[in-house]
Amino acid sequence: MIPRSVQITLAFLLATVLLLGTYILHVRHSEEAKTQAETAETITSPQAQGRWEKIRILVAYDDDQTLRWRDADAFLPTERAPRAKAILRVVLSQYVQSPSPHPLASTADIREVYLLGQDTLLVDTSAAFADAHPSGVLLEQMTITSLIETLTANLQGVNRVKFLVEGRERETLSGHADLMTYYSASEVHKFARELE
Amino acid sequence: MIDPGHGGSDKGSVLGSGVTEKQVTLAFARELRKELAERGIACRLIRDSDVPVSLDKRAEIANEQRPFLYVSIHAAAGPSSIRVYSPYLSKPSSPPGLFVNWNSAQFPVLERSTAVARSVSRELQRKNIRVVGLSAALRPLIHITAPAIAIELAVPSHSAATLLTEKFDNPIATAVAIAINQGHATGGQP
Repeated sequence: MIPRSVQITLAFLLATVLLLGTYILHVRHSEEAKTQAETAETITSPQAQGRWEKIRILVAYDDDQTLRWRDADAFLPTERAPRAKAILRVVLSQYVQSPSPHPLASTADIREVYLLGQDTLLVDTSAAFADAHPSGVLLEQMTITSLIETLTANLQGVNRVKFLVEGRERETLSGHADLMTYYSASEVHKFARELE
Repeated sequence: MIDPGHGGSDKGSVLGSGVTEKQVTLAFARELRKELAERGIACRLIRDSDVPVSLDKRAEIANEQRPFLYVSIHAAAGPSSIRVYSPYLSKPSSPPGLFVNWNSAQFPVLERSTAVARSVSRELQRKNIRVVGLSAALRPLIHITAPAIAIELAVPSHSAATLLTEKFDNPIATAVAIAINQGHATGGQP
């Protein structure tokens, strides 16, 4: 038979252990939350330098299979690569909305634009941009042409553009348009004229 | 050399009513082969069944045969029309060397390809078929050493199944065969 005084001591010790355990968990969670909040503040990018500008974008229309110029307002950074990304996103926003003149997946996006030398841009797109792109020679070519032509119309000195998907090279956009090639701005301008 | 696009697990675009691009391209390619045979022009299909063939392999097969002309066939949903494409290709940055550059193999015959595309477009127009002539960055056209064009058949989704019937294909295949035959008869100068 365990004496009553020992039973009370054991119960007290057990209660103390439980209370301490709960307290330690509470402190740990609150410290984690604090750290996460601090990290989030740290990785917030600084406000990009730039200004609102009126730009011309070349939009694809599936109904009559044409490309037509349109005016748009956009906040454009001053640095070339972020500026190119912002310009491309303005065009893409026309296609991911509903209704759209040239529907693309709502998650289609430009992940990043890289400057290669002085005149070449690598445009890295999201998987959805290519995976869910409507298939067809003309439809795919309209997308490529509208993006490149808008880019070169609003960003001086771009002579060549190549597309990547999730950071990797891909043979075609959706079974047709060539994504391995470096598109020449002057040749794309000819495509655009054929479809305007 | 006729190349029906896609095949196997690569179905291409869906044209509606369960009809896929790979079915239509093969049906049209067979029809075109028949029309050309009637005019005394022998031709081969890159694929004559539902099998996958990579783009590079298609170019390899075509180049080995040294054909008079390479015709790539595609199909898409859309307002009824035919699109005839000539290859998009920038001038190679380096001069031709001992070996043919795989990515610009088409360049020496690019003008002939464009001429064939124009000729086919003209013949389709004569048949009152709505046709659009364009250039396209489309593989494997740039790897082909012979004159090369691509044809895309566009049909509204509701009538996609008609693309698999001979009645729909006949006038288009006939017009394309006539244009190719004219080019063949004039020694590749359509």
